[in-house]
Amino acid sequence: MISGSWFERQKNIIDYSLQSLLRRRSKNILILIIFILLVFAVSSVLFITESLTQEMMITSNDLPDITVQRIVGGRQANVPASYIPDIEEIPGVEAVETRVWGYFYLASLQANFTIYGMDLNLLEEGEYQKIVNWKNVPDESENQILSTRPDFRMIVGQGVFELLRDIQMEKAYLFYQPTWEKPIPFDIIGTFKTETELQSNDMMILQTEGARRVLELPPDEFTDMAVYVPNPEEIDNIALKIRRYFPELRTITKAQIKNTYSSVFGWKSAFVLSSMLAAIFAFLILIWDKASGLSPEEKREIGILKAVGWDTDVLLSVKLWEGLILSGVSSLAGILLAYTYTFQLRAPGLREIFIGWSAIYPSFQLIPDADPKSLLLIITISVVPYLAVTVFPAWKAAITDPDVVIRNI
Amino acid sequence: MRYSSWLAIVIVAFCLWSGSAYMHFHNRQIESEQQIKLRHQFQKAVGLPNLAITSTARYLRHYSITDLTTPFQDYPASPDHFPAGFAFAPPDYSNMPCPIVFGKPEKLTRANTL
Repeated sequence: MISGSWFERQKNIIDYSLQSLLRRRSKNILILIIFILLVFAVSSVLFITESLTQEMMITSNDLPDITVQRIVGGRQANVPASYIPDIEEIPGVEAVETRVWGYFYLASLQANFTIYGMDLNLLEEGEYQKIVNWKNVPDESENQILSTRPDFRMIVGQGVFELLRDIQMEKAYLFYQPTWEKPIPFDIIGTFKTETELQSNDMMILQTEGARRVLELPPDEFTDMAVYVPNPEEIDNIALKIRRYFPELRTITKAQIKNTYSSVFGWKSAFVLSSMLAAIFAFLILIWDKASGLSPEEKREIGILKAVGWDTDVLLSVKLWEGLILSGVSSLAGILLAYTYTFQLRAPGLREIFIGWSAIYPSFQLIPDADPKSLLLIITISVVPYLAVTVFPAWKAAITDPDVVIRNI
Repeated sequence: MRYSSWLAIVIVAFCLWSGSAYMHFHNRQIESEQQIKLRHQFQKAVGLPNLAITSTARYLRHYSITDLTTPFQDYPASPDHFPAGFAFAPPDYSNMPCPIVFGKPEKLTRANTL
C-alpha cells in the first residue's frame, strides 16, 4: 500500500487520511463548519476595515493642508474674517480659504444633510464639471427666474436626490426651520455622479450666500478656514505658528487627518475581533478536546497500524494530511466566502455597524483591498496550531509500543 | 473513484473559485479608476474629509475634524448609541503640541514668539 514512487505513496496516504476523516464524519464536519465560520468572520472584518481605510486614503492628498477652527469655551465657534489677513501674512502660506458649511437635520425624513457653501460657477468649469450630472437645464422663462436668484441654487448628492424625489422635491427644495418667517426655496441644478457617492452622498452644495442663509451664519463669519501650504515640510510649523498667534484657534493638519484615517478602525475593529474571542476559545477547546486525547479507537488504530508494520513517519504523514486537508479547506473556504460576502454581496449584516442607522447611505460598493499579509496571518494562525494539536498526540501514540497502545484500551 | 481524486476535484473547484474572485477583484480595480479620478476632483472642490457612510449623527459625519465635545451634544452625557459610533474611533490629537498658558494670556504677536 505504501510502496511506489513518492507521489503514488502520498496519494495512498491521502486516500487513507480521507477515509479516516470520513469514518469520524459527524465530528469532522462540525469542526469544518466552525472553522469556516471563524475564518469567515475574522476575514470579513479585516476586508471591510482594510478597504474602508483604503477608500478614505485614496483622496486624502486632496484635503486642505491645514484646517483651522476656532474654539470658544471648549466648543467650535464661527471664525470671524479678521483672522484671514494675519494668517495670510505668515510666510509659506499660499492661500486661506474660508468655508461655510454645517448640517441640516430634516426631521420628517430623519436625515442629516451636510450643507457646504461654495461658488457653484466653479463646478461649471474645467475638470470639475465632470463630477456633476447637470439637471433641469432651464428654458428661457425659467432662466429669467434663475438669474434673479442665483444664490439659491444647489447641487446634491445622489442619496439626497433620491430622498427628495420620494417627497416630490427633486427640482426644488424648501429649507425651513420653525424659527424662520418663511421657507427658503433652492433650485436643484444637478446631482453628483454616483462614482463620488462615498463622499458626496449626503452633501448639498449650495451657493455660498444661500448656504449662509440656511445655516444662519452672520456676515463676515465663517465655519472654518482651510489654509494651503505648498511646501509639505512647513505645514507643521505653520500650524504651530497659527496656534501660537491665536491660542483660540485649533489646527488640524492633513497628516493628522490621515492619522485618524489609518487608526480609525484600529481599536474598535480590534474590539469586534476580541468580542469574537469567546468563539475563538470555544473553537480552541473543541480542537483541544479532539486533539489532546485521541479517542480509544484512534489509539487502537495507530497501535494496529504500527503492529502490522507501518512506520512512525507514515503514521505522522497520515495525521498531517488529515489536519492539512481539514484546516486548509476550511481556511480557503472561509476567506473566499468572506470575499464574496464583503465585496460581491456588500456585507449585509456587518455593513450596518459601519453605516449605522443613516437615512441616506451609499450603496457600499467598496473597492476590494486585501492585504496579503493579513491573509497570510489568518492562514498561519488557523492552519499551524491545528496541525500541531493533531500531529502531536498521534506522534505520542505512535512512539509508544504497539502492544501497550492496543492493551491499554 | 479514489478519495484522493475527490480531493483533487475539490482543489480544482477552489482554484476556480479563487480565480473568479481574482477576476472580480481585477475588474473592480479597473472600474474604480474612473471613480477614483472623479473622487479626487470632488475632494478638491469640497475640502471636507471622511466618507459619507456615517450620516447618522452630525458628530459622526466628519469625525476627523469634529470638535471634541460633540458626541455629547444631543443632551448632557448622552451615551454613544449609534452603531457607527462604535465602529469609528474618535480622532487622536494626543500628539498635538499645545502651549500651556497660565492666567489671561496677552495676545501673542509675531515679534515675541519668533
